[in-house]
Amino acid sequence: MRYIGWILLISFWVVVGGTLHYTLPQRDIVRIVNTYEERQELGDWTRVFWSRPDTQSDTLINRDVQFIQTVRANGRPMVYRNEDTGWSWPPYFKFDTSNLYTEAADRVSTKDDPEWVMITHYGWRNEFLTVFPNAISIRPVDGPDASKGLPWVNILILTLLAAVFYGIWVRWRRFRRRRIDPTLEEWQDSFEATSDAIAQKRGRFRRWIDSWRG
Amino acid sequence: MFRVFFIVFIALSIVYISLSLYSRARARARLEEEWSEGPQDLPQEAYVNAGLKAYDGSLRRKLILGVYVVPMALVGLIIYLTNFA
Repeated sequence: MRYIGWILLISFWVVVGGTLHYTLPQRDIVRIVNTYEERQELGDWTRVFWSRPDTQSDTLINRDVQFIQTVRANGRPMVYRNEDTGWSWPPYFKFDTSNLYTEAADRVSTKDDPEWVMITHYGWRNEFLTVFPNAISIRPVDGPDASKGLPWVNILILTLLAAVFYGIWVRWRRFRRRRIDPTLEEWQDSFEATSDAIAQKRGRFRRWIDSWRG
Repeated sequence: MFRVFFIVFIALSIVYISLSLYSRARARARLEEEWSEGPQDLPQEAYVNAGLKAYDGSLRRKLILGVYVVPMALVGLIIYLTNFA
């Protein structure tokens, strides 16, 4: 029983942490190499990793998606998708996909004459599931070692969430101490009283049996 | 898009109505307590009704409209920062 509780608790926090890590904005310093468009199949469960830019896109089983190909400061490749989030989840309210595509195309540079940019994005890259992070904005930076700045949006959201979770936890503990624990104790007391009474009776019965043995 | 607006509007309206009812009930409880501690030169009902009339015009009641205003302002800010900043 104790293991089940632990597994439930750990899965809950893994899901919460994973959702936050997927949804909150992150910044990468990269060099843009190319931009391209490719038709993507949306018919299976990996649909959750693509956006829903408008209501029509709910029923489509494939559509063209824009991509931004980049190389990170450490030389490894990173490919972003470029999709509107529209009014759906996560709430970035991104509508300027075409503008971002133009900006990205404008900043394409070569290895010999690199132009470094900071791409703000959310989401994960996974080669096996063909999942791409969604680029939100592109800003020019000085070089590959430029500062990414303080992630104040993440700090704000995580602080607020922690406050909400703490508030719920405190109230739950108070509720348990006031309402549930006393009731459980009552049950335990009455249970013990009953079993004591039974034990006493049985003792009397045994003494009576013993009296026959002489 | 309009479906989202509609759902959010319904959800916020539920919050708004519950909050207004709660706030008014609290104002009434506060007025009743004030009356029982005070000189009691008015009947309780008249005292409470006059107090509630003042509450209806108060800033506190209008602040509850923030239930609609704050999320709308936040969404507007995010739209600006994501698309135009």
